[in-house]
Amino acid sequence: MLANEKFKYFVGINSLAEIATCKDRVCVLNILGNESRGVTPVSHAYSGGNVVFGTSPGRGGEVLETAAGPVPVYNNVREGLDAGHKFNVGVVYLPPAAVRDGVFELIRVNRDIEKVVVLTEKVSVHDAREIRALAQQRSVDLFGANCLGVADAWNHIRIGGALGGDKPEESLRRGSVAIYSNSGNFTTTMATYLTAGGWGTTTSISSGKDLYIHFAPAEFAHAFDNDARSKAAVMYIEPGGYYEQDLEFRKPVIACVVGRWKAKLTRAVGHAGAIAGSGDGAEAKEKWFQRILKVKGIYSPENPIVSQAGAVVTNIAHIPAALTAVMKLNGVEPDFPPEGDLTLKPWFGDNQGLPMPPELDLPLVEPFQPYKDQIAELTRQVGAVFPRESMKDRSGSSIMDPKTQVTRVSGVSILDTAKYPLASNYMLALIHEINDDNDHALFNCSVTVDVNLHGDPAIMAADAAREAGNAPNTVLAAACAVIGPRRVAGACQAAGVLIDLFGHSGLQSGDQADFDFSAIKADAAQLACLVGSTADPRAQAMLHGVEARGARSVFVDYLRSLDGHPSADAVRAAITTSICWSALMRKKISRITARNLPWYLRLAATIIGASVPGAQHKADSFCGVPTRELVSQSSATEIAYLALLGEKPTPENLFPFRVLLGLIISNGVGTISAQGCKGAVSADGPESPERVQINKAMIGFLTHTGFAHGGNGFEGIQFLIEQFTDSDLKDAGDPKHGLDLAGMGSRFALAFAAEKKARKGVGEGVRAIPGINHPVFKGQLVNKDPREVYLSHLFKERGETNVFHDFYSALVQALYDNGVTANVFCVNIDAVIAALLLKLLWPRYRSGAFSEEALETAAFTAFLFGRMVGCAGEIDDHLNRGRNMDTRTPASQCSHVS
Amino acid sequence: MQLTGMLYGAKLLKMVDFPTSEILGPEASEHEIKALIAKCGEVFVKPIFRGGIGKKGKAGLLGRAADLKTALKEKERLYFVEHRHGNVVAKSQGVTFEGAVPAEHEVYVSIADSTRYRAPTLTITHHGGMDIEELPKDQIVEVPFDPLTGLKSFVITNALSDLKAPREIISPLAQNLPKLWDLFHHNGMTTLELNPIRMSQTRPGSLTPIACDFKCGFDRDDPRVRRLNLPNELFAVDYSDFEQEINQLRTYQGQSDVGVINANGTILAPTFGGGANSLVTEFLGDDAIISSDFGGNPPYEKMRQVMRICLKHWLKQTNVLFVIGGKANNTDIFVTFRAMADALREYFSERGPTPVYVVIGRGGPNLSRGLLAFKDVVDSLGLPYRIFAYDSAMTDVVRYAQAADRWMKAGGRQMLAEKLGVAA
Repeated sequence: MLANEKFKYFVGINSLAEIATCKDRVCVLNILGNESRGVTPVSHAYSGGNVVFGTSPGRGGEVLETAAGPVPVYNNVREGLDAGHKFNVGVVYLPPAAVRDGVFELIRVNRDIEKVVVLTEKVSVHDAREIRALAQQRSVDLFGANCLGVADAWNHIRIGGALGGDKPEESLRRGSVAIYSNSGNFTTTMATYLTAGGWGTTTSISSGKDLYIHFAPAEFAHAFDNDARSKAAVMYIEPGGYYEQDLEFRKPVIACVVGRWKAKLTRAVGHAGAIAGSGDGAEAKEKWFQRILKVKGIYSPENPIVSQAGAVVTNIAHIPAALTAVMKLNGVEPDFPPEGDLTLKPWFGDNQGLPMPPELDLPLVEPFQPYKDQIAELTRQVGAVFPRESMKDRSGSSIMDPKTQVTRVSGVSILDTAKYPLASNYMLALIHEINDDNDHALFNCSVTVDVNLHGDPAIMAADAAREAGNAPNTVLAAACAVIGPRRVAGACQAAGVLIDLFGHSGLQSGDQADFDFSAIKADAAQLACLVGSTADPRAQAMLHGVEARGARSVFVDYLRSLDGHPSADAVRAAITTSICWSALMRKKISRITARNLPWYLRLAATIIGASVPGAQHKADSFCGVPTRELVSQSSATEIAYLALLGEKPTPENLFPFRVLLGLIISNGVGTISAQGCKGAVSADGPESPERVQINKAMIGFLTHTGFAHGGNGFEGIQFLIEQFTDSDLKDAGDPKHGLDLAGMGSRFALAFAAEKKARKGVGEGVRAIPGINHPVFKGQLVNKDPREVYLSHLFKERGETNVFHDFYSALVQALYDNGVTANVFCVNIDAVIAALLLKLLWPRYRSGAFSEEALETAAFTAFLFGRMVGCAGEIDDHLNRGRNMDTRTPASQCSHVS
Repeated sequence: MQLTGMLYGAKLLKMVDFPTSEILGPEASEHEIKALIAKCGEVFVKPIFRGGIGKKGKAGLLGRAADLKTALKEKERLYFVEHRHGNVVAKSQGVTFEGAVPAEHEVYVSIADSTRYRAPTLTITHHGGMDIEELPKDQIVEVPFDPLTGLKSFVITNALSDLKAPREIISPLAQNLPKLWDLFHHNGMTTLELNPIRMSQTRPGSLTPIACDFKCGFDRDDPRVRRLNLPNELFAVDYSDFEQEINQLRTYQGQSDVGVINANGTILAPTFGGGANSLVTEFLGDDAIISSDFGGNPPYEKMRQVMRICLKHWLKQTNVLFVIGGKANNTDIFVTFRAMADALREYFSERGPTPVYVVIGRGGPNLSRGLLAFKDVVDSLGLPYRIFAYDSAMTDVVRYAQAADRWMKAGGRQMLAEKLGVAA
């Protein structure tokens, strides 16, 4: 049955006023889908609650919350109808493959259906054909697909898509102009532009631009003609299809035809139907509209060609002026005074000090409301806010290059972190920037005080764990467990107070000289977080350190300026806030990170401190070195050396130790240690970041190391000891060691070959030689691990010798020369680490001061010191960006082994 | 996604038992060619072009041979021949040898979705074998039909009666043409054209329609195309490496359509929305490197990935990074801008700075947060920029971007490079 005689096919809509009415009741398919979840609540509220229910198979019983009340969700349309709901409009948000069946469901199941709006993009032509045919058979008006629905500014109704965005009333102003647009976005954009000419809208239709346009320009022209509210229409038309060729209008129309350039393309970009065949390109369409609208050319401000029937434009910015000119000829004034204009108004900009010509150097313009207030509010926000996503097996902190096997932390290669001290690397992982000297000084003041755990339950827990025969990772985990949220609450709170007080003071850097903080006024509650009535010895020790080192900190100065005695927590917070201030202000890190920094520093100090038995922690000294001396002179790397080796380092010894720690900070997010700490964060729920226990995350890292991961560095040491045990080597750094390394290598190679043969004979596997060969760096005639090459150069440049490292180089050559290996294997990074560490420990081992067991503990602990850095970065990254429980593996990906 | 020629056409037609001429591919041996000539009297030697390109016959790209020597000569001539039609240039990749089909009549048939009727439409004439655009209107008919019932024999007989077609061709066509609907509708085709179908007397007294040339277009949004197991490289010729990389991200949520406009362009314009895409690309002309539509509210990770690929391929040569769209309806500006800005920051940290002027124009949900997120990143990278909201005409923003491009070319790039401490 045809609804009207004008068409050879069914068209039910006779006036634009019938497209989105107050009587329409809507059912939304896939209402809980991603797009609908955001859009439907706005439509529903804007339209006074016109959605009666939605469907989502398997999720019946749920509701979609909206400002106009919850919308019930059923498994299918029939269930909704059975529950007593009635609707005449279907809205389809299904994925493309399901659209046809969805439309069929709406049409076949619901006798009352009159209109269906399909939002989905990329519906196949096959399905579009069948949808059209069924809708025709059953007398249903279709809109879309690949559209943004319809809206009526008079009725205050929006059906289907998101015309007008999240604030429809802002763009959809009541007026006299109907909009028909092949582009969903331009429907809203044109409505916005029209307000600049003083024009509001009646009905706006986003038609979509697939091959099949279900509500086509001919139907629009008919409905526009019959709509008394619409005095003019604006159409945005793209190439492709003959929909507009024979249109007839009795009221003025501005046709914007865009897409001449598309003639150059052989396929569509964006709008699937916007690709011309023969004779339906943009140029042809311009001509059609010129004929229909009785104009001899394209309108432009310079050449304003208009007629009473309308104008053709090729630039949407010209629509308001063209419309006003056409309507003037028809004696019709704009709907309201023009609002704003479309001139160029940059809200933000910067020339970066470069000389710009006037056409580029446009002065900035204040945003209009509500954006002005929003921007002011957001600008007040301190620090970055990161979008949350699943961080399982992903990291923003570290990345390993699979080709070179070199990991980068915060964008810096571990070959470079090997050159930086521990303090630098720790802050690099957390604030993504390398410390300067002032930051070093501040960092070291804090760590050197907190490393001493005299009288602290943390060292008691560690000692108890040590007594029980645990490996160092477990011992340190016991200590970390004691540095829980309550222990650091004061310092974190103080950091928060300092951020609040200085966040909008204009302070750009924590060490800014002569910063005037007289305008900073803390209230009583804030002051209570910063100062107390009695002097705190730890605070005084740190302040002494700051002074002795000549370190600058606006925040420390501020604390000193206050009445009362700064608390140790406040000084810790002042130190960390000073270091991170610049990164925080540039939104490189979040406020969460800045607030947690005292906790991270405390944990670093605890891990270093607790590696030494409690007996070494005295009221005024650590490992026999007076606290005053440590605080005013030592670096974190030196303290770590002291803790590990029991003596103060010489500069010659410190360098390789620093390299060692820097080299092992991370091996990428796939390592077990990284997975351990990330799992701990994920389980606490990073979406409530204040609840995440950073000490527990550190424990996660520690418990995810062990004799195989971290402790295995000892294998290399053991191997080297075996090789050198009969030598009379005293100093592994002495170039005149007098050893025949090539001979040693050859002897080992021959013995190894014999052993290999014997083992093969009895069917046993051949043992691997620790420190040589690598799954990636192999297969060449001579193989090199680039990390080892880099470090060899580094030491060579400094004129340093390491006899163990040299032995390894001789060994791989000897293995090849003696036919044990098919090519020259590489000396890998583990060998370098073993050589570095053994060189440091050798004198003590030889003197009998260190047993093999002590060597193993030292090797493992050194690994933990280094890896603590990378894991701190992973913890903070996951805390800022991860989702709750995002590291779990879905059951479907787990398998059972019988 | 178009397919022309009988090499694959014959295979597809055989799936629905539609008779075709005999055909040999480029790998045919001399012995096979000779046998085909012996059987059919002569062969047509046709170059193989990937994708769709028309008017080959008119360009003299059709060889005809009644003996092996001529056939091989034509093979040599046409094997790598180049053909230009309109803006499209194609290079042949081999030839086919197609057995000649003696015939009384030549028929043209196509099935396509017509925007005039908004239905699948049969176009048919028995004056086939020529340019159908040149036929008078009364010698060709277009008949829309119902896709729910398909192309039925009566549609064909009615059409041929209207054309006053010779009696002897009606029944064989009515029997065979409905098969084409199965091929067309169930395999994701948007057009199917056989020109000519030669009506050949294969049995005394009755004619058989034999397809002698084949052309079809596929809908790249239709998964049914995969049923045909056509080799990917048949269509790959259409896409550059860049486009292919982006295409891998094509899912229904969020457009990720791109095309390379000018590989030597200097304005890189990630554009949002099909409309903005049309407008911006039109105004930028050859200044634009790509034409794109990244709208449709892409999620953060997808947007970052898309931007990474864009930057990887083009940022080095770019003078102006121009992020442009209208006032978005449902694309979250914060999510998309944050993703793009993060990708830009990543590029700078991975590959070092490059001199680029940033111009942005956009409106939509979460606008303030989105603009500020981008602003923070360009500030921290030390790049010159202007950010316009949607109360500035989009076309004026485009002109601003072009002015920035001119300034960069006229020494601005050099100055900026020096400031960034890198080579221009």
